[in-house]
Amino acid sequence: MKISGSYTLPVAPERAFQILQDPAILAQAMPGCESLEKIGPDEYRMKMKVLLAALSGQFEGKVRIADQAPPTSFRLIVEGSGRIGFLKGDGLLKLLPRYTDYTGPGAEARTSTEVSTLVSYEGDAQVGGTMAAVGQRLIDGTAKMMIKKFFDKLAGLARNLTW
Amino acid sequence: MIAQKFEYTAPKSLDEALHLLASGAKPLAGGMSLIPMMKLRLASPEHLVDLRTIQDLNFIREAGGQLHIGATASHYEIESSALLRQKCPLLTETAAAIGDVQVRNMGTIGGSVAHADPAADYPAALQALEAKFVLKGAKSERTVSAADFFVDAFATALEPGEILSEVIVPIDDARTGTSYQKMVQPASGFAIVGLAARVRVNAGKVSFVRIGVTGLSNHAYRASGAEKTFEGKTSSPANIQAAAALVAQGVDANSDLHASADFRRHLAVVHAARALKTALSRIA
Amino acid sequence: MATTTTKVETFVGKRIRRREDPRLITGTATYVEDIQMPGMHYAVILRSPHAAARIRSIDTKKAESAPGVVCVLLGKETKGVGAVPCGVAMPDLRVPQHTILATDRVYFVGHPVAVVVARDGYLARDAADLIEVDYEVLPAVADPEKALAKGAPAVHPQWPDNIAFTYHQDGGNVDKAFAEADVVVKQRIVSQRLVPMAMETRGVVAEWRNADRQLNLYTSTQIPHLVRTIVAGMLGLEENRTRVIAPEVGGGFGSKLNVYAEEALMGYVSMKIQKPVKWIESRRENFTCTIHGRGHVDFYEIAAKRDGTILGIKLKLIQDVGAYHQLLTPLIPQLSVLMMPGIYNTQNIRADIVGVFTNCVPTDAYRGAGRPEATHGIERMVDMLAAELKMDPAEIRFKNFVAKDKFPYATATGLTYDSGDYAAPLKKALDLVGYAKLRQEQADLRKQGKYMGIGISTYGEICAIGPSPATPAGGWESATVKIEPSGKVTILTGACPHGQGEETTFAQIAADELGVALDDIVVLRGDTAVVQYGIGTFGSRATAVGGTALYYALQDLKAKIKKFGAMLLESEDVTLAGGQVVDNKTGKSKPFQEIAGATYRALKLPPNTEPGLMATRFWEPPNFTFPFGAHIVVTDIDGETGQIRIRRYVAVDDCGNILNPLIVDGQIHGGVAQGLGQALWEQAVYDDNGQLVTGELTDYALPRAHLMPWIESHHTCTPSPVNPLGVKGVGEAGTIGCSPAVVNSVVDALSPLGVRHIDMPLTPEKIWKLLATKNRDVGSRGATK
Repeated sequence: MKISGSYTLPVAPERAFQILQDPAILAQAMPGCESLEKIGPDEYRMKMKVLLAALSGQFEGKVRIADQAPPTSFRLIVEGSGRIGFLKGDGLLKLLPRYTDYTGPGAEARTSTEVSTLVSYEGDAQVGGTMAAVGQRLIDGTAKMMIKKFFDKLAGLARNLTW
Repeated sequence: MIAQKFEYTAPKSLDEALHLLASGAKPLAGGMSLIPMMKLRLASPEHLVDLRTIQDLNFIREAGGQLHIGATASHYEIESSALLRQKCPLLTETAAAIGDVQVRNMGTIGGSVAHADPAADYPAALQALEAKFVLKGAKSERTVSAADFFVDAFATALEPGEILSEVIVPIDDARTGTSYQKMVQPASGFAIVGLAARVRVNAGKVSFVRIGVTGLSNHAYRASGAEKTFEGKTSSPANIQAAAALVAQGVDANSDLHASADFRRHLAVVHAARALKTALSRIA
Repeated sequence: MATTTTKVETFVGKRIRRREDPRLITGTATYVEDIQMPGMHYAVILRSPHAAARIRSIDTKKAESAPGVVCVLLGKETKGVGAVPCGVAMPDLRVPQHTILATDRVYFVGHPVAVVVARDGYLARDAADLIEVDYEVLPAVADPEKALAKGAPAVHPQWPDNIAFTYHQDGGNVDKAFAEADVVVKQRIVSQRLVPMAMETRGVVAEWRNADRQLNLYTSTQIPHLVRTIVAGMLGLEENRTRVIAPEVGGGFGSKLNVYAEEALMGYVSMKIQKPVKWIESRRENFTCTIHGRGHVDFYEIAAKRDGTILGIKLKLIQDVGAYHQLLTPLIPQLSVLMMPGIYNTQNIRADIVGVFTNCVPTDAYRGAGRPEATHGIERMVDMLAAELKMDPAEIRFKNFVAKDKFPYATATGLTYDSGDYAAPLKKALDLVGYAKLRQEQADLRKQGKYMGIGISTYGEICAIGPSPATPAGGWESATVKIEPSGKVTILTGACPHGQGEETTFAQIAADELGVALDDIVVLRGDTAVVQYGIGTFGSRATAVGGTALYYALQDLKAKIKKFGAMLLESEDVTLAGGQVVDNKTGKSKPFQEIAGATYRALKLPPNTEPGLMATRFWEPPNFTFPFGAHIVVTDIDGETGQIRIRRYVAVDDCGNILNPLIVDGQIHGGVAQGLGQALWEQAVYDDNGQLVTGELTDYALPRAHLMPWIESHHTCTPSPVNPLGVKGVGEAGTIGCSPAVVNSVVDALSPLGVRHIDMPLTPEKIWKLLATKNRDVGSRGATK
C-alpha cells in the first residue's frame, strides 16, 4: 500500500528535523507507543498498544532512521508485529520551510511571520496477518488517522518545547 | 473463530451498566461489529456489558416536538416503525439499506453509531438530520450534535465510561423531501458511499438543504459547501448538478480494493445528485 | 389373488421435492461439527502468517503448560507421516515434498506449522496464541506471471524458474490453419483465482480404537473411499482397519475433492493421545488452507476465414499452481485444453500449459474445473472474432457448430462427443429472449447514450467423469441394492452425493424399476464400512456413472425377483410391473414384498439360484458425456456508476434425459450463481508479499440471494448414448455457461466505445474507468479536479 501526505509543523525545518528524530518526543507522539528505547545508532526498539474502536493489539518492533540529510529529508523504517498481524513501513520524509499562516494546534500562540515546516511523506506500507486479511476495507482510513494523530500530537509538543 | 475468554453481564438498569463501564467493561449492543472482531481476536475485551437487556434503552417515541430513538432500537425496528416512517422517513429508508436482514434484526442504532465505522449508513442520515446524541455517564449527561459527535474513523465524542443512550432527530413534515442513496460494497454490505439529502422548497426556490455523506472519508460529514450553493436557487437539474459537484470538495477520500479514492469521489457526486433529485420529488 | 394390475405411480421425469431437504433446511442434519464422543479432544492449528519464511525456531513451552493442553505437535514429529499426495502423473511434473506440517520453511500464508490439542476448543485456541515462532521472512511471489519472470523469488529453492510442469498438445495442423487465415484475433484473458467457499468449512473427527487397531475418520469430503486408501497409506494403517465417514457435507464444489493434511494429521493425533480428536476449520482458515479454484492467465489466438469459419485456435495457458500440488492440481488446466475447441467444428488446435508455483494456496478443482476457464476463453474469442468480422455473434456460432449429423464427433483434442444438436438450444434461447427485438431496442438506446448489452455463450462440457484410463484414480462407479425381507429397498452408492439430490433421483430410478414407493427406499452413501468401494461425486458424474451402476444392479435384482416370482406362481412366463410379478398366461400375480420375503425364507429356491436379494455393480463408462447449451444475458449498465444490472437471464441447457426437473433447475440456479460470482464479484486477491487481502467475507464478495436475477431455465433434450439412462450430467453447466455470457453482454454494451475485452470480475470501477476514458460525456470526474 502506498502512503503519502503532508502535514505542517509549527516550527522551522531545523527544529522539525530534530524533533522528528528525538526518541523521547516520538514516543510521546506515536499513538499507543508504550516505550521506545535506543538499541543502536539511529535504531530503536518500540512497544505499542493500538486501540482502535474495539480493536486492541500489542505490537513490538523496531524503528530505524536512515539517509539523514538535515534539515531536508530522512528515511524512516518501521517494523512491528503482534498477534493480530505485522506491519512494515518504509518512507521518505521531506521537510520544506513554509511561510504561510499555520492553522493547526497551537496556532493561536503564533505570529504569521514565523516559519513553519511542511513535512511531506511518501512510502510503502505492508500489512500482514489477520489485519491484512480482514481489514482491507479499513486499512487506508486507519493509517491516515494514525498519521494525523501522530502529527497533531507532535505539533502540540513542538509548540510547547522550550529548547 | 474462537474468542478469548470474557465475562458477560446483562444489567437491568442503565445505572448498573454505567457502573460496570466505569470499571473498564465494554458495552455490547447488537454485536454486529464487536462479535466478529472478538472471534477474529482483533478485539479481546475482558468484560462485556449487554445493553439489550436494559428496557430504558429500547424505544422509539415522539416527545417535545422531536423523535427520540433509544440506543438499542434495532435497524429492523427503525425500518418498520410507523412513527418514523411518517415523521422521519429518511431514517427508515437508511435503516432499510443496512447490510442484510440478519444484520438488521440484530444490529442497533446505538451500537452502529458509537462504533463509528467510516462506511456505516446511519451517520450520513444523522448528519443530514442534524441529530443530537445523548451521552450518559455515571454522574453526567450531555447532548452532542452530529457535527461534533463523529470525530474520526471509529472515534466519536464518547468519553470512556459514557454510554450513548438515545439519538434525537427532528420531525420532518410533508414539506420536507428526503432520500438516502447508497453504492453498496458487495461483500460487506457497507456503503462505498452513502448520501442523505433533506430539502424544502419555498416559492419555487430551495429554502433548506442538508446533505450528509458517509463512506467517502474517515467520518461522515455534512457537505456544507454544496448546501450553501443549492440554497436559494431553483431545483433545476443544472443547479442540482452544481451542488452535487461540491460534496466531495476538499475531502481526503479513502481508497480500498473495492473503490479507489477517485472513484469514491465520483460516486459521491453521482449519489448526491440522485439523493437531491429523489428528495425533491418526494416533497408533497 | 387380484388379476388386474393397478396403475402404479412413476417418478422419473417428475418435479419431485428433494427428500434430503427437510433435515437440511430445519438444521437437523449431522455434520462433522455435530459429532460428539466421550473423551473427545480438540485441535487447533497454528498457521504461517508469512507467504515465505524460514522457521528459525518454535517455542512451545508456554503453550504446552497452558490449561487443558495435552500436546503440541510440530513438523519434526510428524515427519514419518506420508506426504499430502498429488494424484496426477505426468512427465517432468515437479512435486515438492508436501509434509502435513511445515518443517523448516513455510510456503504460503496458512501453511500449517503446529497443532495444539487440548480438552476443549477454547483452551486449544488460547494455547495456540502462546506458541512463539521465529520466522526469517523471505521474498515471496504471488503472481504467476511475475513468478515466471527472471529474477523472481523461487517458491521452492530447488526450482528457481518456478515451473511446476509443462504440457503441450497439438491437434491437426495449426500452422497451416493460421497461414491460411484471413483474420487472426489475439487476446490475453484472465480467469481469476476464486475461493470455493462451501457453506460448511472442512472438519475432521478422528477416533483411534486401540482395541480394534482401527481408525475411524469422519471428514467433510466428496471422496470418502479415496481418502481412506490414501490416509491409511500416509499413516501406515491397514485399509480395512481404516473407516472413513463423510457425514452430511455442506457443499464441496470441488474443494472437498481432495486429501488434506488435516485428515492424516488428526488420525495421527488420535493415535498419539489415544482419544478422539476434533478439528473444525474456521472460515479464516478455509480462505487460506482449502484449495482455491481457477487462476489462469490465457493467451488465445483464433484464426478464421473472412466468412467466419474458424480454422484454428492457439492457447498459451499459465496456471497458477500455488505452493504445492494438491490431489488433482496439474490435471485441471489439462481439462481446459481438452475443452478448447468448444462445440465448434475446428480440427486445428495447439496448447501449451505452464504450471507455475506461487506462494499462495494451491489451486485445484472448483465447480467446472478447467472447463469454465476454457469456455470463457473460447466464447470470448468467438465474440471478438465476430466483432472483428462485423458479424452477429449468434450467426458466427451457427456457422461453426458441429452439425447434428456428425455425431459421434472426434475432436482435435482426442475426445469423442457422444451426441449433440448445438443449434437447438441457441435457437430456443434466441426465441425466448426475443433477440431481433432486443437488438432493435439496443440500437434505440444507443442513440440515447444508454448502454445495454446482449451476451451469448454456447458451451459444451465434459461430464460423467469418466472412463478410468482418463482419470487418475478410476472413473467407474459402484452401486449395491439390497431388498430387505420386508420389501424395503436400500441403495448403497459409491458416489458420495452431498447436496446434488441423488437421495431423491436414485430413489426415483429404483422406485420405477421395482414398482415400489419412494418412501420404501433409502439411499446410503459416505461410509466406507457400509458402502462398497466407490469413487465419489465430482465432474457431474454421480447420476450418469453412479446412477448407471444402480440401474444395472436393479436389472440383476429384477431378474432374480422374476425367477422367484415365476417359481412361486409356477409359471414360466412372467412380467415384473407395478410392484407385482404377473403370470402372463393366467394373470395371477405375487406382490414384490411377498417375493422378497420368500427369497430370504428360502423354503424353496429356483434352480441355480441363491437366497436373498442383493446385487452390486461396478460400472465402467465407455466414454464421457458431453452436455451443452446456450445462455443469453441481457444487461443494462448505469453510465454514471458502472453498475451492471442483469435484465434477463435465459438458460437453455441440454443435459440429456432429465430425471427430476426440479433438481435440474436447482443445479442450474446454483451453477449460474457461482458463474455470476466469478463474472461480477469474486476474486482472491494477493498482495505482492503473498498476503491474501480478500481473506474474509467482508472483502471477498460472494453472490447473495438478493443479487440473483430471475433465471429463465429451459432445456432441449439430446439423450446420451453412453449410458442406459440417457443422462449427461448438469452439476457444472450453469457455471460454465454463465461467465462468458455475462462478460460478452457487458462488452457488447460497451462496444460502441471500442471496448473489446474486460477481465473478470466486472467491478463497477473497471466499467466506470472504461466509460470515463472512452467517453468524455459520461463519468464526470466530479470535484476531484
